[in-house]
Amino acid sequence: MTTNPPPAAAPAPSAARRALRWLFALPPAYLGTAVLLLLAAMLRPQLLSMFLLPLIARQAAPLGLAVIGQSLVMRARSIDLSSGGVIVAVSYILTSGYFPVSDAVAMAMCVGLGLCVGVLNGVLIVKARASSMIVTLAVAMILLGIVIALSQFRAPGDAPEFLRAFARQRWWGVPLPVLLWLAVLVPVALLLRSTVFGRYLDAVGANPQAAALSGIPYLRVIFVGHVASALVSVICGFILVGFVGKGSITLGQDLALNSLAAAILGGVNFGNGKGGMAGPAVAAFMLTFLFNFLTSLGLGEPGRLMLQGAIIAAAALAWSLNRGRTS
Amino acid sequence: MRSIRSGISVYTLGLPVLLVVVLGLAIPSFLAPQNLANVSGQITALLIVTLGQMVVALVAGIDLSVGSVISLASCLVATQADPLTGVALALLLGLAVGLVNGAGVALAGIHPLIMTLSTMTFLQGLAFLILPIPGGQIPPSLRELANGTLWGLPQPLLWCALCAGAVALLLHRTRLGLHLFAVGANAHSAQLNGVRTAGVVIAAYAVCSLLAVVSGIYLAARVAAGDPSMGAAFGLESVTAVALGGVQLTGGVGSIVGAITGALSLGLITNGINLFGVSPFLRGAFTGALLLVAVCVQRRRSVGL
Repeated sequence: MTTNPPPAAAPAPSAARRALRWLFALPPAYLGTAVLLLLAAMLRPQLLSMFLLPLIARQAAPLGLAVIGQSLVMRARSIDLSSGGVIVAVSYILTSGYFPVSDAVAMAMCVGLGLCVGVLNGVLIVKARASSMIVTLAVAMILLGIVIALSQFRAPGDAPEFLRAFARQRWWGVPLPVLLWLAVLVPVALLLRSTVFGRYLDAVGANPQAAALSGIPYLRVIFVGHVASALVSVICGFILVGFVGKGSITLGQDLALNSLAAAILGGVNFGNGKGGMAGPAVAAFMLTFLFNFLTSLGLGEPGRLMLQGAIIAAAALAWSLNRGRTS
Repeated sequence: MRSIRSGISVYTLGLPVLLVVVLGLAIPSFLAPQNLANVSGQITALLIVTLGQMVVALVAGIDLSVGSVISLASCLVATQADPLTGVALALLLGLAVGLVNGAGVALAGIHPLIMTLSTMTFLQGLAFLILPIPGGQIPPSLRELANGTLWGLPQPLLWCALCAGAVALLLHRTRLGLHLFAVGANAHSAQLNGVRTAGVVIAAYAVCSLLAVVSGIYLAARVAAGDPSMGAAFGLESVTAVALGGVQLTGGVGSIVGAITGALSLGLITNGINLFGVSPFLRGAFTGALLLVAVCVQRRRSVGL
């Protein structure tokens, strides 16, 4: 994340102003998280205890993973709204008992399904040139519809013991899902920073036409992004099923739109090649912490929703206005 | 040139015709006046929102908040004793939402998805605040407007015709209409040619929210109650209908006819699934599959959004 130098014509700003400017040039997630933690420290200090904070981080893991996939496709000017459908399908495969196979095979089937969804999304977007928003939305509708129709005949069963244990366990006090989140986050961040693929992704996002004319395989880059995003959704599904311990058809339905919000609050925007992987991760934590904080305030559903909407808008507004001033 | 700009193709026009023919041949009760009145009643709300969504899509935007606006409008109308106050309040609110959405997108440069997502969340909360559970009172005069008949025709058709006519006038007989297409096709060129792009975008969002309010009032009058989650599905459904109608989400391409055929197709699919006795749970899967086919046959030049 580089900040633009202040314009030469302006009088040299004081160190404090420069620091302030640098602070505001960060994605809104950082400032938002700081403000939220400060507010929580004043109003609900128990949220910051060593008992609850890891739990909140654990709860943030699915969103954090989803936003990795989402930001990959957003960088290439695409979007993936299919995560809700994939997660529900994963939940059905793992918990319905419809497939009499071992847990490992069922999980492999889920990965296979994710691969299929990703390839389907990618092919339709790249080859048929269909709108990525509509394609991924339609795929989510199809998966959700099929699962809902199928689950009329079967009560949801329990999640595989392995996943439930995985969701519960901690290593060195850190919940395993959080470690898994980091285990995906760090390699992807390095991949983006130091490989040709990362450069391709930013080039395609910045100007698809120029990228294509320069001989960058830009269709393949978008395709790979979508496959990766679908596979990440499968991992989200594993974690969520482990959390809940049971099959559910409402699992992860808000993840698609929330991951979009987290990506943008984390400094990633459609195809401007800006923003790293740390910003979206912080944004995922910020949103999850926000939901918990608002719940802990006991506002009830209406107040919670209104504040949530207002805060997301305020963060996006601060970021947009500031970006407009510095660039 | 005109056909390129309208986005109408054989597929957009053919889909509803095909659906009517298939349903008419396969199910005799489909063409019964009772069912036709039912269908038109069901499609009206979607059609009115879709018209608004189309206007926003013309300027390369998207409005996810229409669903919450519908819910909120129905709650407002249902909680006011005087129908005129309720309708006026709802319209004012729609205007305010549209202005906020438009200002956020055009002046502050927030991405439309994130801007309307946040207003959607906020307004959903407001709707729950005003009317926590479905209920309230809808004045009989208003109910008559949505359920009665006029000159032998069901009233919903009148709502459709009025809204479609108003949007058609806006698009094809006013300067704003021309500017909407210009901004959507190439905002930078439009600006260089003296179009005030920010104003045009704000106007588009205002029109969209106002049409969502009309749709909400219609729905409340039709079911004779307000419901804070009544419109939840309409956000994505209207985007779906717009896409079925050949309107491009990248801006500059769309038409009234497209919006109407899109809403009609989606409504007929729902009705057909009911009539065929297919599990209503499969409706989403059917709609999704059809949507995939519809967007894939309309090949675009750009890749991505």
